[in-house]
Amino acid sequence: MSYMTLQEFYDATGGGYDTAMRRFRTEERALKFLGLFLKDGSYQLLLDSMASGNVEDAFRAAHSLKGTSQNVSIVNLYDPVFAITEALRAKDMEQAKTLLPTVQESYETVAGQLRELLQG
Amino acid sequence: MERQLILICDDIEINRVLLHDIFEEQFEIIEAANGEDAIEMIELCKDSLNLIFLDLVMPGKNGIDVLRYMNRNDYIKRIPVIMITGEATVESDVKAYEYGAADIIYKPFEPEIVMRRAMNIIELYAHRNDMENQLEKNKLALAETNEKLMKNNEFLINALSSVVEFRSLESGEHINRVKAFTKVLMENVRLFYPEYGITKEQEDLIVSASALHDIGKIAIPDEILLKPGKLTPSEFAIMKQHTTKGCEILEKFKQDDNEFYKYCYEICRWHHERVDGKGYPDGLQGDEIPIWAQVVSLVDVYDALVNKRCYKPAYHVKEATRMIMDGECGMFSEKILNCFDMAKNEFYLMTQNDDIAMG
Repeated sequence: MSYMTLQEFYDATGGGYDTAMRRFRTEERALKFLGLFLKDGSYQLLLDSMASGNVEDAFRAAHSLKGTSQNVSIVNLYDPVFAITEALRAKDMEQAKTLLPTVQESYETVAGQLRELLQG
Repeated sequence: MERQLILICDDIEINRVLLHDIFEEQFEIIEAANGEDAIEMIELCKDSLNLIFLDLVMPGKNGIDVLRYMNRNDYIKRIPVIMITGEATVESDVKAYEYGAADIIYKPFEPEIVMRRAMNIIELYAHRNDMENQLEKNKLALAETNEKLMKNNEFLINALSSVVEFRSLESGEHINRVKAFTKVLMENVRLFYPEYGITKEQEDLIVSASALHDIGKIAIPDEILLKPGKLTPSEFAIMKQHTTKGCEILEKFKQDDNEFYKYCYEICRWHHERVDGKGYPDGLQGDEIPIWAQVVSLVDVYDALVNKRCYKPAYHVKEATRMIMDGECGMFSEKILNCFDMAKNEFYLMTQNDDIAMG
């Protein structure tokens, strides 16, 4: 079986390969940062604080997730996370709840692809 | 050269690593994952930190809290802070700049640009800190020179003033007492009668100027100046001229717009005026007489009363005070008398310290 290449991963997540390579210079470093991204707890914190109704922690988590996904150029994640961050910034939990499924779907897809990539 | 030190403060590891990677080759780096840790590290390294990268949104103490701390402790002018933020919201950016952030950079970072901006800011602050240190040094040197000059001036004024006393066979202590009494009285005027608008600096000048109040006596002949017993009316008329003669001396060295000259001149001329208009040489009334001349006038009368003169014995301090308060000797405004009344204990003490006859 063949694993995903870095180029294929970025193609599948919105085409951030060139940006990532400009930033990280080598594929090795890009992989290191993608590994850190996967380890980062912001996504889990977002889910937990949405569940417990803590709008401040949820905002902070969404905000961090937005920043890190930008930093590793995962384009597909940015738009849904941006939307939920803005809802949470306005402390609009209802709006945030309607946006959460899209965030979850995008994140799980990206995380799956990322695990596949990092195995290789 | 020692490597420069950068603090990276962000709660998200990936963001710290990104910055770490950009700067690790050229800089020493320390990291903090929250505002509390950042503050602790700033406190530890405040003298060696060259730059701080600071995340705005963090759990617990956030970036603004850290900036506030740096403001409170006056670190913000010396240590540059670059805020890192996910997006530009005018509100938070303005706030960061208001709290003294040097710059704001937005994620995602472009390594080349972050590096260049960081270098520029470090250089700018290093330059500014150098300039400020230099300025501080210059200020200190200037203050020292000023102090020396003041001391020299003080010495010259005292020497000049005592020439007159020396001739009238007094000890030279009169000048020192006049200055000390003037200081106490002038301080009360400054504190309790703000309508005269006297500042601490003016008070000091007036005290110095009071030393020269009798400078004109140098022009009074010995037989009058040193005459034991009462002067005849014509002798007294000559004696009175010491006020205007003093001014003639001072006028030779007139300095326009010089506050000190003004005090010297006015004290010299008007320290024998009376608020009821019966003084000399100009017969000024009430507050036509500058407050500093009124002060020295009272001081001069008090000192003459408590000391033995060739024409009179020394009065006891309490008797001298009563005579002044009751208008038996001199005529002073209510305000000056109030100031004197408040200061009388200090006057007693200083009189005793000087070992003057207590009657």
